[in-house]
Amino acid sequence: MKKIYAYALTTALMIGGGMSSCTNLDEEVYSEVLSTSFKPTERDLPYILAPVYSSFRTLMFGWQGYFDLQEEPADAIITPVRPNGWDDAGTYRRMHQHNWTSEQWQPTNTWNQAYSSITRANRVIAQIEDNEIPLPAEVGKNAIAELKAARALAYYLLLDNHANVPIVTDYRDATLPQQKTRKEVYDFIISEINEVLPLLSADVNTTYGRMNKWGAKALLAKVYLNAEVYTGTAQWDAVIKEADEIIASNNYVIDANYQDVFSATNHNSKEIVFAIPYDEIYGQGSQIHMKTLDPLSRLVYGMAAGPWGGNCAVPQFIDSYDKEDGRLYDTWIQGPQYNPTTGAMVIEYKKAVPGIGGDGTVAASNAGYRIGKYKIKQGATNNLDNDYPMFRYADILMMKAEALLRKGNADAAAVLVSQVRQRAFKTNPAKATVKGEDLLKGSVYQYGWQEKDGTVTTKNGGADIKYGRFLDELGWEFAAEAHRRQDLIRFGVFQTKSWFNHNPHAQAQNRTIFPIPFGELTKNPNLKQNTGY
Amino acid sequence: MSKNLKTFLFVFLMSLSLGGFAQGTTTLAGIVKDEDGKPIEMAMVGIKNTSRHAYSDEQGKFSIQYSPNEVLVISAIGYNKNEITLSNQRQLEIVLTGGTSNLDELVVVGYGTQRKGDITSSVASVKSEDFLKGTVRDAAQLIQGKVAGLRITTPSGDPTATTQINLRGLNSISGSQNPLVIIDGVPGNISTVAPEDIESIDVLKDGSAAAIYGTRATAGVILITTRKNKNNESKQTVEYNAYVNQQRIFRKPEMMNAADYRRLISEGKNYEDLGGSTNWIDEVLQNPVSQNHNLTYFGGNYKTNFTGSLNYRDWDGILLKTGQQRVTLRADLNHEMFNGKVKTNLQLINTSTKSEQGGSGGWSWRQAMIRNPTDVPMNANGSWKENNAYMYDNPLGIINETANDYKNKETRFAGSVDYRPIKDLSLKMLASRVQTDNIYGNSTTFRHVNTTKNNLNGTANRSTGAATENLLELTGNYTKTFNNHRIAVLGGYSWQDNTSESFSVYNFDFPTDAYSYNRLQAGTALQRGLATMSSNKSKWQLAGFFARVNYILNDKYMLMASIRREGSSTFGENHQWGTFPAFSAGWNIANEDFLKDNTTISALKLRAGIGVTGTIASSPYMSQISYNFDQGQGAFIGGKWVPGFNPARNFNPDLRWEKKTEWNIGLDFGILKDRISGAVDYYSREVNDLLYNFSVPVPPYLTPNMMINAGAMRNSGLEVLINVNAIKQKDFTWNTNLTFSTNKNKLLNLSNDLFKATNDFFDAGHTGEPIQISTHRVRVGGPIGQFFVYKSVGVDNNGKWLIENQNGEVIPISEATPEDRQYYGNGIPKFLLGWNNSMNYKRFDLTVNFRGAFGHNILNMQRLYYENPVNKAYNVLKTAYDPVYGQTLNNDLVYVSHYIENGNYLKLDNVTLGYTLPNKTIKGINNLRVYGSVLNLYTFTKYKGIDPETVSYTGDFTFAPGTDHRDKYPSTRTFTLGLNVSF
Repeated sequence: MKKIYAYALTTALMIGGGMSSCTNLDEEVYSEVLSTSFKPTERDLPYILAPVYSSFRTLMFGWQGYFDLQEEPADAIITPVRPNGWDDAGTYRRMHQHNWTSEQWQPTNTWNQAYSSITRANRVIAQIEDNEIPLPAEVGKNAIAELKAARALAYYLLLDNHANVPIVTDYRDATLPQQKTRKEVYDFIISEINEVLPLLSADVNTTYGRMNKWGAKALLAKVYLNAEVYTGTAQWDAVIKEADEIIASNNYVIDANYQDVFSATNHNSKEIVFAIPYDEIYGQGSQIHMKTLDPLSRLVYGMAAGPWGGNCAVPQFIDSYDKEDGRLYDTWIQGPQYNPTTGAMVIEYKKAVPGIGGDGTVAASNAGYRIGKYKIKQGATNNLDNDYPMFRYADILMMKAEALLRKGNADAAAVLVSQVRQRAFKTNPAKATVKGEDLLKGSVYQYGWQEKDGTVTTKNGGADIKYGRFLDELGWEFAAEAHRRQDLIRFGVFQTKSWFNHNPHAQAQNRTIFPIPFGELTKNPNLKQNTGY
Repeated sequence: MSKNLKTFLFVFLMSLSLGGFAQGTTTLAGIVKDEDGKPIEMAMVGIKNTSRHAYSDEQGKFSIQYSPNEVLVISAIGYNKNEITLSNQRQLEIVLTGGTSNLDELVVVGYGTQRKGDITSSVASVKSEDFLKGTVRDAAQLIQGKVAGLRITTPSGDPTATTQINLRGLNSISGSQNPLVIIDGVPGNISTVAPEDIESIDVLKDGSAAAIYGTRATAGVILITTRKNKNNESKQTVEYNAYVNQQRIFRKPEMMNAADYRRLISEGKNYEDLGGSTNWIDEVLQNPVSQNHNLTYFGGNYKTNFTGSLNYRDWDGILLKTGQQRVTLRADLNHEMFNGKVKTNLQLINTSTKSEQGGSGGWSWRQAMIRNPTDVPMNANGSWKENNAYMYDNPLGIINETANDYKNKETRFAGSVDYRPIKDLSLKMLASRVQTDNIYGNSTTFRHVNTTKNNLNGTANRSTGAATENLLELTGNYTKTFNNHRIAVLGGYSWQDNTSESFSVYNFDFPTDAYSYNRLQAGTALQRGLATMSSNKSKWQLAGFFARVNYILNDKYMLMASIRREGSSTFGENHQWGTFPAFSAGWNIANEDFLKDNTTISALKLRAGIGVTGTIASSPYMSQISYNFDQGQGAFIGGKWVPGFNPARNFNPDLRWEKKTEWNIGLDFGILKDRISGAVDYYSREVNDLLYNFSVPVPPYLTPNMMINAGAMRNSGLEVLINVNAIKQKDFTWNTNLTFSTNKNKLLNLSNDLFKATNDFFDAGHTGEPIQISTHRVRVGGPIGQFFVYKSVGVDNNGKWLIENQNGEVIPISEATPEDRQYYGNGIPKFLLGWNNSMNYKRFDLTVNFRGAFGHNILNMQRLYYENPVNKAYNVLKTAYDPVYGQTLNNDLVYVSHYIENGNYLKLDNVTLGYTLPNKTIKGINNLRVYGSVLNLYTFTKYKGIDPETVSYTGDFTFAPGTDHRDKYPSTRTFTLGLNVSF
């Protein structure tokens, strides 16, 4: 019997010993940084801020991103069905014809990326405020101001596109957000920017790609410019005040060459007020050339990637240009394209596009002028270096000009418009100058439905558009800069005119804002769908 | 809590003293055998009118002490009881007559074995003689259709793929649907050992049986026992099994050919005639011949013996260049010392697999289907003919210009010591280490589209991974019989840890493609900053304590109680440990007096059990608050590009176990001396705290998905197994076996304290480009697997779909809103059927197996994409121009119910005919059998796709079952010729 006790005891001790050493379930982490073991310092501030800005890269030029959201429903850029596809179950056609639903990707992507920036900003603000990221008081205050300005920029995109969106500023609040009206979102942005303006850096040399004082003022001007659309009340004086302060800072000029603002080295441009920087290696995401170029164009640029060959210019928009306007050639790739090594012609881009497709119409692979504004370098990969200028000095001048024009001061507006046009008419400088009376004319854009043979039937023209000529000026200067939808709405064209294969939608007025994404409605029952969807 | 358990174990071990030795004058060493001379294990040997009992061991041996003239009673279930009056024998061989009852088989349960007659849970056991014969992919296919409630399918014809196993419905969302597979006590997977090397497979189906395995057991436990030397005397045996097979595509999709294109062009359709005529599907297919060889050696005696086996398998797939070679080596050494007090086992399993697949796969298969049949494979200059269309590559270029080489090596060492200080007590230590190493190489030549279209000048990638998994288990087993009581107590401790590491590099822009992936430094993308590199390391630990008590009274009443306390490192600190109890009881009615002499009912047992199991998060660190420096989230700050410091995920320190509670009630029966036998089980299982990567709003959350414990789900069903020895004559026997199971599933809720305000449904599955919409919706109160779709009811004169809107009105699809989608059918079968027949006529043997699944629908994605003529850039099925509702379709590709089909099928799955030569026909050969077999012979179904069975329900399709993906590797029909020899 004793023997058995001994056996049992030995075994029990053995098992017991094994147990105490083998119940350690602490997780060993190798490929992540644990919050408990990483103590950030001031030196880490750039890393901590970076994710707030990085979302803007995806937002802008990401697949079916903000660029497509602003251009495809407008009158300058289309993505027609081509021999190599681009039907994609009608997604581009729905954008062109304003038939999008709450499941359309383009508005959803903009929503997601904007809120990604907002949430990241909220998190970092909370971490600085709670001293999880210990920073000297001054540095912390300034960083929070910058984060709030960046957050306001994201809210502006939501204000413009989805209008009635939740405002979330407290990262620690885990409750599901409540929806706000467009007016409340507008008021929030104005008050946020005004609150942080005094703390934002006025230095333009060290803040490229970040929200500084001037970027915030440009944003403010933009929000005021569209105040009538957002709230029903115009704010033209406020636009002029913000623009004047930016002009008076003497930080910015109109670059001598239009191309310089969009080149691969445009971070050197003196015209850019706020840019979303891109880099072929470090800041990937600008694939605008991949979407627009025909696959054969890879031979023209010696590309290490095969472009996809999709979107192009609306022929009617091209027809609105003055043929001596240099921007027509700086913005659009057109005509024969050559292999730089062999000299052989590779492809010739023609202006005509038969239709958006869906009815069996297929646009030839060379149909339509392509977006060449963001100059493509030789040997380009599928990511461009060119930064996206979100606010630039020409924009500041044109915002002021529009405000002046709408306040009845057409001549003063014309001076500013002429200043912007100066570099565009190098072959015939006389044409650069416009007069106040010109700006009071209608648009030269031949609005109307385009038939397959290129003729425009059921013309409704542009002559009846109030300040239509100014809208044309905006089109020529800011084509392919993701401005067009907003501008068309402000001038009432988006809701009323036909162009290419687009007729005004039965619910045209409700199409000026996008639906709340279907997925968000299912995740957050506090959200109500926008009217008309 | 772990302290409490220590105390418990200590007390339990101390209490062993209640055992004692029977006192006597003479020791009898005996052996119990059946009429064929096979040893009978677990026969009860007792001295009449005393409490002295013993049980025979694996070799049928027992020893017992007696006084002269006492009567020895030998009984074993299924055999006639035998009584022998003892005088002064010291050795005795006892032969029990009577057929073997299926209740007397030994069944492997968690951490031990039990007689089938003693089992109180739902456990299925399949022995090697009942295995599926012929070409078998892995262990699971051996028992396909033979275990009620266990659905085993071969979702793909890919030779590198394994079977897919599902037990009693979908029970976890993020955890694995795969059962825990234990090979000789060590966790592994279904292809760890070659099928030819398996002795028996036991499946713990219900919670009360599986709960001893705690957190890994929700999807059931499959216990694989490898073949061991069972010879009693010193003897050596060599067995050789081999087969060759040929595979063909099960059903070929009928795409339009060049003549169809030209006819349509003449009718004014906008197709392009490129002048050639190519059947692209035939171009990418082959009818490969594969082979498998297995050599097994048994040597030694019952004290020291050795089993060694070598398996070589070379399988090719039906898609060009696909295939896999595998060599499995197993060595198993047993030694017994100190009169059987110490038993040791050493086992080594080494598996190396190699595949060189080229560019074959889903992408090239899709390209073969959509490519213009008037095109030709090559240009006049010998380069692959390409075209600028979007998502459109020459499949032959992709297949032939890609290297895709994978090597994997797994080495398993296991060792155990079983120490029996007294006869009834076994203390066992099992330790094992499983080491896996793999290396992968991928490259494309200058003739690949990467270069011909994208100017990348050759691409190359290498990656490697290594994982080490350690296991230590200490168990104590105590069994005691006194009077009519039998008691078995098990206690134990288990530790498991796993470390995984990986590394991957990619470069391109090479001066030559001659290096393939063997000289990555020659590519200049590295210098240009465009090469990529990544590495990762992770680890998890799992610790458990467990105990089980079995009590059997009079061979009539049986009780089982078990508990496992288990902790995992993958959960937040407050939720690391979970407790998983189980209880079950059985009543062997057949042993009651009122049935004892009944000649009709030979076995009848009622069982009931309840048990709790868990499911672990599928990857570690999900609960950690951690960040990463991420270049992709970097920005241009302060004049330079800096990486972003960003959270790795939404933080959830409250992450905890999924818990499944399961009831099972069952009845085992045997009629007419078990000529008809079987089991009926009913189960109801409820999973709480479901782990799911839910879509969450941003803000307040950081990222749009978050791993959350929210929700509950219920599965219930009935399982029936019937075995019939239909014909039992001298020259002719026919055994038939029927399995039938139902499964009903319901999502009970989808919320928790943290996550309650969201809607009561979520969407799952995805059509893919260009339709871009989810395919299924899972709603609280409804079953998983419902398709959610526009219900098509007609086509208008313009060829556009007409659908039924939410108010039941018929509207054009152009006016449909997302709210008009509705539930339409379900991808999970309501019931499954298996019917297995084996016949012997003289020296011929024939097996014919049927399997079927009924009451479900399948989304036929091939038709969804290729049975619509609207996009003339891609080839389509011949049926694309067939009228739909009397009209030719002229609609964009769209997800409508028209493509959701009835998925019912009955499959004549396996027919095998064998012939065994008479003994000693050839000198030196003991046994020789030749056979021919066809796998996946014929399917009775209305389903229009390739094969209704090849539908995946794991991974992305967990909540989107019944999706037959367009890019799926097509399934095959296999013709096999084989040979079994033993020397």
